[in-house]
Amino acid sequence: MELIITSFENYDLLQIAGRIDSYTAPNIQKAIKSLISDGRFNFVVDMCEVIYISSSGILTFVHQQLNLNRQNQGKIVFAGTSDLVYSGFELAGFHFLFEFFDDVQSAIDGF
Amino acid sequence: MKVSVTRVYPGNFKSLKPISEFIIEIAEHLGFSSSEVYAIQTAVDEACSNIIDHAYGGENIGNIKIRVVETKKSLRIMLFDQGKPFDPDDIPDPDIHSPLEVRRERGLGVFFMRKLMDKVDFDFSSTEGNKLTLVKYKGS
Repeated sequence: MELIITSFENYDLLQIAGRIDSYTAPNIQKAIKSLISDGRFNFVVDMCEVIYISSSGILTFVHQQLNLNRQNQGKIVFAGTSDLVYSGFELAGFHFLFEFFDDVQSAIDGF
Repeated sequence: MKVSVTRVYPGNFKSLKPISEFIIEIAEHLGFSSSEVYAIQTAVDEACSNIIDHAYGGENIGNIKIRVVETKKSLRIMLFDQGKPFDPDDIPDPDIHSPLEVRRERGLGVFFMRKLMDKVDFDFSSTEGNKLTLVKYKGS
């Protein structure tokens, strides 16, 4: 899994490539938690290059969205999620929790 | 000739990627569709994560043996470990419609296995340890 974080004025772009599973998800969790601690609250997750996400990967994003909810600010949105990867969010019932955009630009426009 | 392959992996999360690659290669070879291959990959990944987390209670405690057998009508994947007995039937499905703040997340992996495979069976013996069998029917 590769994770590249780029900070912009009002959001952070997380570009992820590869698998998000029990091995890699803790790295993503650590990165988002650290950004939230630094006062960053809006996240665009570029999923174009993500080929797989497990339940633990999905829960990583759910827990960090709950973290943001508790602070009454910010959100995590996804861009370019493939149908197969999206199917995991759908099966878990978490597709209603997040906004999914076709591409990064559309996701950015939401902030 | 029917496929029958057995492989053994260290019981740690780093093994999840090579295990998935092994499963994907066989499922694709047997002609499963891309969504079926993804479903099989997910079920096996969740099963292996549960073995590490719950049967062994941590990484690098024991191995995961995976036997993949093609039958006339199905792909049968058997996972063996020597950890504590872990029966997925003991884990209730999460209520995916309950409010997020009160939702308990334990059991999501088992829920995925049940939803994505046609059969999930657990067996335990003092000699073989835990045996989890996942079955996907061809053309289901």
